[in-house]
Amino acid sequence: MSALAVAIVVFGLALIGWLAARMRAATFRTPGRARFTALPVHYGYFVGICALVPPLVFLATWSLTAPALVTDAVLATPAAAALPPPGFERASILSEARELGAGRSYGAFHDLSAKLAPAYAAAQHRYDWIATAIALLLAFAGGGLAFTRVRPDFAARTQVERVVMLLLLAASLIAILTTIGIVASLLYESARFFRIVPIGEFLFGTHWSPQVIDARDPGASLGAVPLFWGTFFIGAVIAMAVAIPFGLMSAIYLTQYAHARTRAWLKPVLEMLAGVPTVVYGYFAALTVAPAVRELGVALGVANASSESALAAGAVMGIMIIPFVSSMADDSIAAVPASMRDGSLAMGATQSETIRRVILPAALPGVVGGILLAVSRAIGETMIVVMAASGVATLTANPFASTTTVTKQIVDLLTGEAEFDSAKTLAAFALGLTLFVITLALNIVALTVVKRYREAYE
Amino acid sequence: MSKSRLPTDWKAASVQRRTRRRYAAERRFRLMGLAAVWLSAGFLAFLLVSMVSEGLSGFRQARVTLPIDLAAAKLAVTPQQVRGRGADLALAGAGLEGAVDRAATQAFGPGGADLISDGAWLVVRDAIEADPALLRRRTTIAVPVASAIDVAAKHDGTPAAEAIVTRLKARGVLTMGWSAGFLTAADATDPTRVGIWGALKGSLLTMAVTIALAFPIGVLAALYLEEYAPRNRWTDLIEVSINNLAAVPSIIFGLLGLAVFLGTFHLPRSAPLVGGLTLALMTMPVIVITGRNAIKAVPPSIRDAALAVGASPVQVVFDHVLPLALPGILTGTIIGMARALGETAPLLMIGMRAFIAAPPSRLTDPATVLPVQIFLWSDDIDRGFVEKTSAAIIVLLVVLLAMNGLAIYLRNRFETRW
Repeated sequence: MSALAVAIVVFGLALIGWLAARMRAATFRTPGRARFTALPVHYGYFVGICALVPPLVFLATWSLTAPALVTDAVLATPAAAALPPPGFERASILSEARELGAGRSYGAFHDLSAKLAPAYAAAQHRYDWIATAIALLLAFAGGGLAFTRVRPDFAARTQVERVVMLLLLAASLIAILTTIGIVASLLYESARFFRIVPIGEFLFGTHWSPQVIDARDPGASLGAVPLFWGTFFIGAVIAMAVAIPFGLMSAIYLTQYAHARTRAWLKPVLEMLAGVPTVVYGYFAALTVAPAVRELGVALGVANASSESALAAGAVMGIMIIPFVSSMADDSIAAVPASMRDGSLAMGATQSETIRRVILPAALPGVVGGILLAVSRAIGETMIVVMAASGVATLTANPFASTTTVTKQIVDLLTGEAEFDSAKTLAAFALGLTLFVITLALNIVALTVVKRYREAYE
Repeated sequence: MSKSRLPTDWKAASVQRRTRRRYAAERRFRLMGLAAVWLSAGFLAFLLVSMVSEGLSGFRQARVTLPIDLAAAKLAVTPQQVRGRGADLALAGAGLEGAVDRAATQAFGPGGADLISDGAWLVVRDAIEADPALLRRRTTIAVPVASAIDVAAKHDGTPAAEAIVTRLKARGVLTMGWSAGFLTAADATDPTRVGIWGALKGSLLTMAVTIALAFPIGVLAALYLEEYAPRNRWTDLIEVSINNLAAVPSIIFGLLGLAVFLGTFHLPRSAPLVGGLTLALMTMPVIVITGRNAIKAVPPSIRDAALAVGASPVQVVFDHVLPLALPGILTGTIIGMARALGETAPLLMIGMRAFIAAPPSRLTDPATVLPVQIFLWSDDIDRGFVEKTSAAIIVLLVVLLAMNGLAIYLRNRFETRW
C-alpha cells in the first residue's frame, strides 16, 4: 500500500477509536455520579491521538529511511554486481531502475536498469508491506491500550490538553527553526564560498563578472561593491526619491485635508498599489517604463542611455513602495496628539504651517522608521530589478545608465546551468547572507525607532 | 517689561501681503498633497489600463475559415475508431496534421500551410471527435492562424504579415473569435497555442500546500504566544524571530528552500510541494501577526466568564476565543495567501522556471505557477507572447483582487466592536 493509503487507513482507525471511546464515555454519565474530570469527547480525542500519533511518527521516519533500505536490498541481488563503481552513472542507473520498478516510467536508457527494475519492485513491495503492517499494528496497539484506560476516574482532559499545549509550543517554535534554518543555510553555504574567495575581496572588490571566473583567482572577478552600489542607488536613492514625496504628501493629504468619505475610498485605492504582484511591476517597468526612460535620456542628450536603466527600475520600485511609506507616515501622524495641532492652529498658523512646523517634526521619528523599513523592502525586492535592471555590474551614478543589484545577481547566478558547489553558485548564498544581514539591521533599527517614538506619546 | 505697541493694523498693505502669501502657500501645499494622491492613483490606473489594453486581445484569436475535404484526404481512420477510446492517437497516427496542411496549401496557395497555426490540426481533430461524420464529407472549419498573422490581424505586424491579413480579409475568410484554449491549455512554444491552465493548476496545488501548513501552524503559534506563553526570554526570542521573518526579503526564503528542501532533503525540483513549503514559511509570520492582533481584540471578560464557570484554559481558547477571533484571522490569512500567490522570486530559486507543457497532477510533478509563467512569457522574444503575458496578468490580477475583496468583505461583515 502506498504511504498515503496507509495514512488514510490509520486516520480511519483513529476516527473509529474516537467514536468508540466517546460512546463508551457517554455511558458513564449515570445519575448519582456527580463529578467528571472530562467530557466524553475528551476520551474520544485521547484514544484518537493514541491511535494516530505513533503510526504517523513511524511512517514519517520510515519514509526517510525506506529508500536506503530498498536500495540496499537491490544492491544485494546478483544483477547489481554489474553496476559501475559509485559515481554519477551508477546513481543515474539506480534512479532509472527505481522509476521503472515503481511503474512511473516506461523506457529504460540503460540496459542494466531494466534488469534491476524487478528487484526494485520486489524490494519496494516487501518493505511497503512491512511498513503497512507495523503502522496498522501501532495504530491498533495505541488505540487499544488507550481504550482500556477509558474509565470514569481517568483524567482524559488533562492528557489531551497536555498534547494540545505541546502542539501549540511546537507551532511557535517553527518560527525559530525557520530563522535558524535561514541563518544556518546561508552561513554554511557562504562559509564554503569564503573558503574559495577571501571575504575581503568579496566585500571590497570593485570588479564583478561571474560569467568569466578565473579558476586561479576567483576573487578577482567576484568583488561585490558594484552590486552594493547598484542596490543602494536603485533601492535607496531612486526608489525613495519617488516614494518619499508621493507617500508622505499622500499621507498628509489623506489625514489632514481629505474629507472622511474621500479618504474612505482613496486609501484602499492606494493600497491596491501594494497588492499588485511584483512580477507585474517588473513587466510594466520593462515593457512600458524602460523604453520611455531611454527616450527621455536620449532626448536629454545622455550618451549611454540604456533601456535597462537604473531609473526605470528604481522609479517603478518607488511607485510600488508609495502605499507602504504612506501608511507608515499615516500611523505616525495619527499618533501626534491633537492638542499639539490645535495649539498651533489656535495661534493663527495656517494648516500647512502647522503640518510643516508642528506635526511633521513631531511625527519625524516614526516617518524615518517607516522610510528605513521601505528601504529595506526596496533593496530586497527582486522581480522588478530582475526584469528591468541590467545584469552588468557598473559603478555609475548616472540614472540613465544600466546597473545591477544584489537580488538580480542572486537570481542570475542560481538560474544558470552551474553545478551546485561552484564558486558562482555559492556566491549567490554569500550575496544572500549580505542581503539578509543588511535588511535585518535596517529592520531592527527602524522598529526600535518606531517603538521608542510611539512610547513617547502614549 | 514689554513696551506698549499699537494694535495690529490688519488693513495695512504689508500685513495683507503677508497674509496673501501665507494663504497662497497654504493652497500650494494642499494642491501638492492632492497631486501626490492623484498621481499615485494615476500610476495605478495607468498600470491597469496598459495591462488591460495590451492583454484583452490575448483572449481573442484570429481564425481563418479552412475548407477541408476529409473524405478526399483518405485518412487511415474509421469513424468507429474516433468514437472509441484513443481517438487522439488514432487521428494523429492517421496523418491528420498533414491533411490539414495540404488543405491549407490548396485553399491559400503555396505557403498556405505557414498561414495556419501549428495547432490548427488540433481544432480539426476536436471537430472530428465531436462529429465523426465529418470524415466522410467536405466541410469548412475555422482554424487559428499562425502567430505572426494573429499579431498583424490585431495590432500591426510585419509588412509581409499585414499583406496576408489584407488578402485574407478581402476574401472574407478571416474571423476573430474567443480564444478558448487560453484558459484551458498549458504552456507551449507557439503563442497561439499557449494557455494558463497549467500554471493556474500549479498555483492552486502550491497554494494548497501553503495553506495546509501555514494556516494551522500560524494560528496555533498565535494562540500560544498570545494566550499561554510566559513572558520570558524564550517567548521574546520567538516573537522577535516572527517579526523579523515577516520583513525578510522573499528571495531569502527561496535560498532557504533551495539549500534545505532541495539540497538537504532532496525533494523534487520545480514541484508544488517544495514551492508550497517555501511559501508557507513566508506566509506563516503574516498569519501569526494578524492572528495575534485578532486574538488580542477579544475582550478579557469573555475569557474570565468562561474560566468562572469552570472551563480549562484550553477550553477557554478553543471554545470561546478562537471562534471570536476567527474572522480576523481569516482576513489575515487571505491577505497572506494573496501575497504568496503573487510571489515569484522564491519560486525561481527552487527551479520553478522550467518549460512545463502539461498541467501537474501531483504535488511532486514539475509545475510552474502563474507569476512565474508571466515571467517566462515576458522573456519570450516572439511578439505574440506580449499580449499573452498581459492577458495572464489580467487573470492573476482578477484572482488577487477577488481575494482582497473577499478579505475586505469578511472584515466588514464580521467585524465586531466590543
